[in-house]
Amino acid sequence: MQDLLDSALARIRDASTAEELEAVRVEVLGRKGVLSALSKDMGKLSAEERVARGKLINTSKQALESAWEERRDSFERAALAKRLDAEWLDLTIPAPGPRPGSLHPVTQIQWEIEDLFRSMGFSVLDGPEVETEFHNFDALNIPPDHPARDMQDTFWLEGGNLLRTHTSPVQVRGIEKLGPPLRMIAPGRVFRNETVDTSHEHTFYQLEGMMIDRHVSVGNLIYFMKTLLGAIFKRDVTVRLRPGFFPFVEPGFELDIRCLICGGPGCPVCKQSGWVELLPCGLVNPHVLRASGIDPAEWNGFAFGLGLTRLVMMRYAIDDIRWLQSGDLRFMRQF
Amino acid sequence: MKFSYGWIRSFVDGLDVPAEALERLITMKTAECEGVENPSPLLANAAVAMVLSAEPVEGSNHLQKALIDAGQHGRRTVVCGAPNCRRGLRTIWVPLGFKTIAGIASDGMLASAAELGIGKDGNGIIELGETDEIPPADSVIEIDNKSITHRPDLWGHHGMAREVAAITGKRLLHPIDPATLPAPGGPVKVGIEDLTLCPRYSALVFENVTVQPSPLWLQHRLMAVGLNPINNIVDLTNFIMAELAQPMHAFDRAKLAGETISARPAREGEKITALNDEEYALTTSNLVIADGAGPIAIAGVIGGRDSAISESTTSIVLESANFNASSVRKTSAALRLRTDASMRFEKAQDPHNTVRALARALELLPMLSPGIRLVGGLADSHGPLQEPGRVTFDIDWAESKLGRSLSEETVTEILTSLEFGVQNAGGRKLDVTIPTWRATKDIAMPEDIVEEIGRMVGYDSIEPKPPLVPCAPSYDPPEREFLRRVRRMVASQGFTEVSNYSFVSEEDAKRFGLALEDHVRVLNPIAAGQELMRTSLLPGIWRNVMENARHLESFRLFEIGREIHKNAVGLPDERPHLAAAIFTKDDGRASLFELRRMAECLAVDLHVRPAEPRSWEHPTRCAELWWKGAQIGRLSELHPSLMESGRAAVVDLDLTLLLELAPAQASYTPVRKYPTSAFDLSVICNARERAGTLELEIRRYAGDLAEAVEYVREYEGAPLAEGRKSVSFRVVAGAADHTLTAAEITGVREKIIEGLTGLGYELRA
Ligand SMILES: [Zn+2]
Repeated sequence: MQDLLDSALARIRDASTAEELEAVRVEVLGRKGVLSALSKDMGKLSAEERVARGKLINTSKQALESAWEERRDSFERAALAKRLDAEWLDLTIPAPGPRPGSLHPVTQIQWEIEDLFRSMGFSVLDGPEVETEFHNFDALNIPPDHPARDMQDTFWLEGGNLLRTHTSPVQVRGIEKLGPPLRMIAPGRVFRNETVDTSHEHTFYQLEGMMIDRHVSVGNLIYFMKTLLGAIFKRDVTVRLRPGFFPFVEPGFELDIRCLICGGPGCPVCKQSGWVELLPCGLVNPHVLRASGIDPAEWNGFAFGLGLTRLVMMRYAIDDIRWLQSGDLRFMRQF
Repeated sequence: MKFSYGWIRSFVDGLDVPAEALERLITMKTAECEGVENPSPLLANAAVAMVLSAEPVEGSNHLQKALIDAGQHGRRTVVCGAPNCRRGLRTIWVPLGFKTIAGIASDGMLASAAELGIGKDGNGIIELGETDEIPPADSVIEIDNKSITHRPDLWGHHGMAREVAAITGKRLLHPIDPATLPAPGGPVKVGIEDLTLCPRYSALVFENVTVQPSPLWLQHRLMAVGLNPINNIVDLTNFIMAELAQPMHAFDRAKLAGETISARPAREGEKITALNDEEYALTTSNLVIADGAGPIAIAGVIGGRDSAISESTTSIVLESANFNASSVRKTSAALRLRTDASMRFEKAQDPHNTVRALARALELLPMLSPGIRLVGGLADSHGPLQEPGRVTFDIDWAESKLGRSLSEETVTEILTSLEFGVQNAGGRKLDVTIPTWRATKDIAMPEDIVEEIGRMVGYDSIEPKPPLVPCAPSYDPPEREFLRRVRRMVASQGFTEVSNYSFVSEEDAKRFGLALEDHVRVLNPIAAGQELMRTSLLPGIWRNVMENARHLESFRLFEIGREIHKNAVGLPDERPHLAAAIFTKDDGRASLFELRRMAECLAVDLHVRPAEPRSWEHPTRCAELWWKGAQIGRLSELHPSLMESGRAAVVDLDLTLLLELAPAQASYTPVRKYPTSAFDLSVICNARERAGTLELEIRRYAGDLAEAVEYVREYEGAPLAEGRKSVSFRVVAGAADHTLTAAEITGVREKIIEGLTGLGYELRA
């Protein structure tokens, strides 16, 4: 009996394949195996012998089973290890599928500024790119004989309409839509009939802004522009206003900021002046308020225009404005 | 526009601010300066010199060795190549140190007027008259023309001097005494046909005129501001224009036909050869000045060649007129001829100014042409001249506009210094009279006066102050947020955003099968190929694909932009579209499915329907995209004939439609309580039968109990016959209120089988 057990244990230990192990299991532990055979003739034994035999069979069975399980697990572990090894993968090869895309730099700056204005309670409005002469010029106090209406500046369309030369018509449309009091901006594409070169485009982006309320002063305008520009440039900025002529504002200003490169003493960027011309602004001309259907005796406000394209060029130090409309992915993917 | 600092200074009593500082002050208070040009250093050091002797230099055919007396610099020896260097000549010497010329140590140089920048003559050294002095060195301040378009008065030095006097608190000097003008009545008659087009025409006639070069000081003034000296008479007209902003013109009286000068619209077919030797064909929209024989000048733009001043001129008609700004601008634009005169008239000059200019001419001409005589009186024709405008100005109101306090004294002082009339109108209100030279275009309402006060007190004196505004949420158009979401989603799927022009060429429109007459046409396109407004983003996207394919093996790009669609009346429709492309060099199948998947992210459960191929599409790879009963776009591969290499799949989606169809908010249905059952079906059909068509048929026959019909796979090959395939679907059936019985499931299945069999399909379980 002990011999039998020892030899079975040895065979389990020595089994070199899962199949061999299974064969031993069937032979020893199976229904027709040796242990079953030993328990079959138990009926012929005395009661004491039977108890002893039973014990012996049980302990043998336990020993064999645990040896078998251990051996079986080791085969499974080996099989798993083998399979996993076969699944070796080179993770340094390029991953399939698309690379991340990107948004146009003008889109990115536009969103950034839209979010800034929205945080200050401004509505973001759109206006048509094809405009009427009334909205683009007359309503903005640019009468028919103003030099800004010369053919060389404006794209005229059949049917008497034109491509808006600025986002300012949305001032009028904004007042018409929202009524006073209001705070709004209007970013968008504008067109000038100009020859394209490294610093001029016939298609570019502007952002118009306007606040209409009962008592709006130049002091409010300065405060607001300083706050806004500080947020755009992410630092404290010094601004100054000087006279500038734009028919839709009165008084009208050119707003300069203290040069962000040299801080004032002068450098090539500010042409040694210490100041950089940034945007036109002013108090909304009463003619514009009237053309938009509101009473200038009751309401007034300020308006400004921001060159989005120019801001993009400044932020990324882009050397040639034509890249922006080029559709060249070698450029676009950098943003 | 160039301003001579010396000229301005001659009108501002005791001006002591140097040019550089003045430039900054003008920028801050009046108009944008573009810089200061400092005088030539030659002129700054120049001295008057007398040539004592001049002898030819041996071995040279033009050089002379001159001994000069340079006043306080003493005697010097100079080698000079000028042909007019001779004994007794009074000229100008410039100390430049010694230089060896032809073996002789030459000390400094004798200079020409051109070299000194004070005259046009460069042919020889300058010849000074007995009393001529060296013009003082002068700086030039350059002002941006755009910043003075609204200021007719600033197109002359006296107008700028008025600003400078106001800025610096000095007294403004006036160069004119109108009392010197003769009484009305002269040898020429003036006839104005339309007083709107020519509100005033004034003239003087002179005889015994000597046409000769202008004195040095005048040539210097003109040169400093960029005008070319010609002769004393023409220079006089330019000088007064640069001083008073009043363009003038001189006619040779001997060349005029008759004694009547008229200002009238040109007659159809009339022509004129102008001073620039160009011939202009005129139309009735051009105003001309005419004599008995025809046009002698294009009014406000340019004079005619035939009546021009020449060396033989002895008698002149000096015109000082006022023309309608818009008419001059139109004529100048139509003839493509912008002149110093037209630039000024375009800004709406003051009709009161014509006689001031003549008074100034009357004072200057005897100095320029000694012996000149006035003939007769002043010819002056005009309609009623506008009375100076008046505005009531409320100082409290102005304070609220500017956001700073103002005293009545300050306001009065500023307005008076700018030559406004000011009278107290009770309390803190002023009755302000607008000077005529500010009234034509510039100032009409109290807001305009606020600007005068604001700029003069200085905007830097205003404290920034936060505005008091209502606390209210902003209105945000839903399409903006939607477009942002689409952009972000498309970019996150690997597409790079591009931006194309709104223009498209006729050629590209045709290439994409777009009817030319459906496009809004640009009347003045900037270049060939930009004559139509785009009705599709695809031509632009195609060009992007072609260009990028030269550098890249594969890429994805997209544009969100507006299509412009013509309307019978009113503005065109501007519809935002999304156009996206995937370029690869493989078989192109994956690209098409990838674009469809991207479209499905925007329109969940969209339907793909077979499309009639268009000329630009791969004929067997194109489809319409439908969603909620509307066609939202198109998916296709570009026709290989449009490609140089590779393949490009494109999708075009109407974003306005997508936004309209997109649910405003999600709707919730309780999650199903009862289990569903699924079974598979295989349909045997022709190899080019579309799975989408089969799926629609299965849905149709399955009825309400079918919750989903999903495409599983398809198979071609044995044992199926050639040209046949088997397409498998999984049908999921269920009900909201109970678990389906086996009989119900079988019922669904049988309905499908029966229906499809009826359509001629063969089914396999
Ligand atoms: Zn700087």
